[in-house]
Amino acid sequence: MLKEEGAPAAASAPETSVKEHIENVLAWIFGTTFIALAAVVTVETLSRKLFNISLQGADELGGYSLAVGSTIAFSLALMGRNHIRVDVFHEMLPKGLQAFLNWFSIVSLAAFGIFVAWVATKVIADTMAYGSTAQTPWATPLIWPQSVWYAGLVIFALVATGYALRATGLLATRRIDTLNHDFHPKSAKEELKEELDDLANRQAAEGAKP
Amino acid sequence: MTLPFFGLAFAAMLGMMLVGMPIAVSMALVGIIGGIAAYGVPFMDSIAPVVWGVHNENLLTCIPLFVLLGELLLRSGIADRMYIALSAWLGRLPGGLLHTNIGSCALFAATSGSSVATAATVGTVALPSLQRRGYSMRGSLGSLAAGGTLGILIPPSVNMIVYGSLTNNSIGQLFIAGIIPGLLLTACFMLYIAISSVASGHVMREAVVPWADKFRSLVHLVPPVVVFGIVMGSLYFGIATTTESAALGVMAALAFVWHSGKMSRELLRNCFISTARVSGMILLIMTAAFVLNLAISLTGVAEQMTKWVTSLGLSATGLILVLIVFYLILGMFMDVLSMQVATIPITYPIAVAVGVDPIWFGIFIVLMCELGLITPPVGMNLFVVHGIRPDKGGIEDAIWGALPYAVIMIAFTLLLMAVPQLVTFLPSRM
Amino acid sequence: QDRIKFKAIGQPLATGLIQKNKEQPFFENFAQRTGLPIDVDYKPIDTLGVKDTEQLRVMKAGLFDIVSLRVSQNSRDEPTLLGLDLVGASPDYATGRKVANAYFSTIDERLQKQFNVKLLGVWPFGPQVLFCKKPIAKLADVKGMKVRVYDQNLAKFIEMVGGTPVPVSFADTHQSLSLGVVDCAITGPSSANSAGWPEVTTHQLPLGFQMALNGYAISLKAWNQLKPDQQAKLKTAFDGLTSEIWTYSEELFQDALNCNQGKDPCTTGKKFKLTNVAVSPADLELVRGAVTKVSLPVWAEVCDKSNADCSKKWNATVAPVLGLK
Ligand code: NA
Ligand code: NA
Repeated sequence: MLKEEGAPAAASAPETSVKEHIENVLAWIFGTTFIALAAVVTVETLSRKLFNISLQGADELGGYSLAVGSTIAFSLALMGRNHIRVDVFHEMLPKGLQAFLNWFSIVSLAAFGIFVAWVATKVIADTMAYGSTAQTPWATPLIWPQSVWYAGLVIFALVATGYALRATGLLATRRIDTLNHDFHPKSAKEELKEELDDLANRQAAEGAKP
Repeated sequence: MTLPFFGLAFAAMLGMMLVGMPIAVSMALVGIIGGIAAYGVPFMDSIAPVVWGVHNENLLTCIPLFVLLGELLLRSGIADRMYIALSAWLGRLPGGLLHTNIGSCALFAATSGSSVATAATVGTVALPSLQRRGYSMRGSLGSLAAGGTLGILIPPSVNMIVYGSLTNNSIGQLFIAGIIPGLLLTACFMLYIAISSVASGHVMREAVVPWADKFRSLVHLVPPVVVFGIVMGSLYFGIATTTESAALGVMAALAFVWHSGKMSRELLRNCFISTARVSGMILLIMTAAFVLNLAISLTGVAEQMTKWVTSLGLSATGLILVLIVFYLILGMFMDVLSMQVATIPITYPIAVAVGVDPIWFGIFIVLMCELGLITPPVGMNLFVVHGIRPDKGGIEDAIWGALPYAVIMIAFTLLLMAVPQLVTFLPSRM
Repeated sequence: QDRIKFKAIGQPLATGLIQKNKEQPFFENFAQRTGLPIDVDYKPIDTLGVKDTEQLRVMKAGLFDIVSLRVSQNSRDEPTLLGLDLVGASPDYATGRKVANAYFSTIDERLQKQFNVKLLGVWPFGPQVLFCKKPIAKLADVKGMKVRVYDQNLAKFIEMVGGTPVPVSFADTHQSLSLGVVDCAITGPSSANSAGWPEVTTHQLPLGFQMALNGYAISLKAWNQLKPDQQAKLKTAFDGLTSEIWTYSEELFQDALNCNQGKDPCTTGKKFKLTNVAVSPADLELVRGAVTKVSLPVWAEVCDKSNADCSKKWNATVAPVLGLK
């Protein structure tokens, strides 16, 4: 979560809900992809063992699910500030330098996102040029999974660029504290807090039951 | 590329990581700049097929699946109830609830891919009652921090998946290889607790629990035991590949969540978001690691290092001893996953060249990661257990409490060197 | 004097004796073997972290100069390649050589046009044969059995003879056999020997479903930087290498078949006690028939989509040497 109680920049409530909405949509796409995959793979494994029938292609489906799921997950990890950064020495640096590093981190992450998306453009172009078809029983035209994968990478690049622009704006207007607050490395403490909140909810729910 | 130049690049990468740059970016940046410096634009064009290759790798699909499996058991409260059941069984041992800490961590470790989740979950349930009953805070924190590290040694383990895919080793074999060391290390931890408890003069024990209650509590152990049994059984008996076993585990976990009556949109959403965040973080690092790996193998750095090290006439034992020191120091300062991906492309070929078994080396790397989790100043599990302690005390309690376990881990590593069959026996029988 | 430096992508390290005893030494002694001032930096593909399905794309990117091309895997991007190794087309070495020669220039042209690489030679891992843990006397006996396959063509073929194809990775096959996940599995006898398959099977049927052909290719950029006489020397050296591999592969094949059944001479493997099932004319007929019944039509449909002349060219070049109309 980007905002905590007492955040200096509390002016962005609608932005938060938009962000949460995007997160929800992406999370459901991600989750149903893997639950569906798990179901298909389970059926394949059991039917192979029990009835000698092989659906042939569950492993192929697994590869495509990862291609789609991983790119969506990049964006979700970015929005949850989960792309790991080591924060031990960071905390010892002067505020100004911290701000610069925080800005540089998000900008470089955005640059990396754009780079990967750009690289993927070549993959797509080649696949179209060769009409590549998977060497599998399904003979899947490769462009199908790859275009979804590509869309995921472009979304990641866009989200990262959005964050980078915001950080740049904050840096340009010298709002150092806000910048440091919103973009500093996620500490173990914060990660833990999320876990504990969830646990507290679980136990509250347990207690509420008769 | 010459070795000094490479040393510089490696130092630059570590430097970027330590000042707080994103790990994935630090690795990719060094890989891309190094590759382009050596080979120009064609290097950049070669990255494209590599990236698709990583993201389309069915083997890596088990990462989100295993993470999801752990999340389902955790967020539905199944893991919480495990602790209560185990305390009924282990509380009478000298050292009392501390054994329950280790036992719960080991059992939950067996289903969760992450050691932080393990330490946080068990710790939160355990610490308040530990404090109430007068257990020493140091001992409690230490047992939780150390117990949590079992999560990456007892399969399934994300760190083993990462090792297997970076080195082309069978993840199934790595998982199976982790079982005996995982159980033995658990036993070592419990033995230490019992001995130190007896030696301290006042032995903590829990009240006797009636047998009827004991047996009734067993029902809470069913979900983790069944899920673990399905995952490892299907792997060991060759019914399923790693990804298939993960899928079977997810379906079983879903069934248990359903049965517990906790299934809800809210629960699923929370599981999906955390799974996506964790796997997104890991997979972006993997993407960067493969780009870096391409640069490293093209420039021949690993071969030069291997030649250099073998020219020193180091034996396998000598090399591992050196690597223990190397990883101990690196693990103090680095996040363990980053440490793993950044060093394996170099240390693995060297180890194999001097005759270390690849599966054994995988378990060794995982042990070094466990060590890194409880050594200061950067020790994720220390932070976690410190963060959940109910009283106000310094981080040094967690550090001192975990120190004996760090010593045990190093001694245990030496034991595995002396008796490598502890690692290689099970996988050789697959 | 100016020495040229080439970078080469090799077969994966674990592919066996051909990689170890023929390919790697050739590239490591490249200058001596070709008589050219060229040094090669040889990297087995699995040490690069590049998947073998991506070889042609990586070659086109221009970072590497020479590739030990894996035909089946790269037919994803260039289905024309697979015309070399249709299931049933080459049950023995003699036929395999004829197919390779007849089809060489078709692939060469296509690779040059699409990927800027030139084909230098074609060589075989060798016949991919059947190992079973249940008694078989002929190919038709696999009816109702689960058979480990490694690609689409083979899967269709196994379906044709009434078996259940199960795609299992090579590494997992030993275990799958021992536990009965599959009853039979297909690979080269030498690979089977080193992976210990005879420990968990009882019968081998030395009938080649595919020849597992592979190739060597050079980027046009590297090729064109050589003078005509250097090009000729290079081509001669690769002709020498591939012809050496053809012979070596056949020796290995025979030797491994011996080892698997515990006969002498057996110099390259471990001795086991498999029953060797004699290949009958009916079996040969059945395998050969797969070309027109299954593998050609399935392949032609995919290939013609990306390369309009694909099956036409094959019918003009390879069909005659196989005696097909
Ligand atoms: Na685990
Ligand atoms: Na540490």
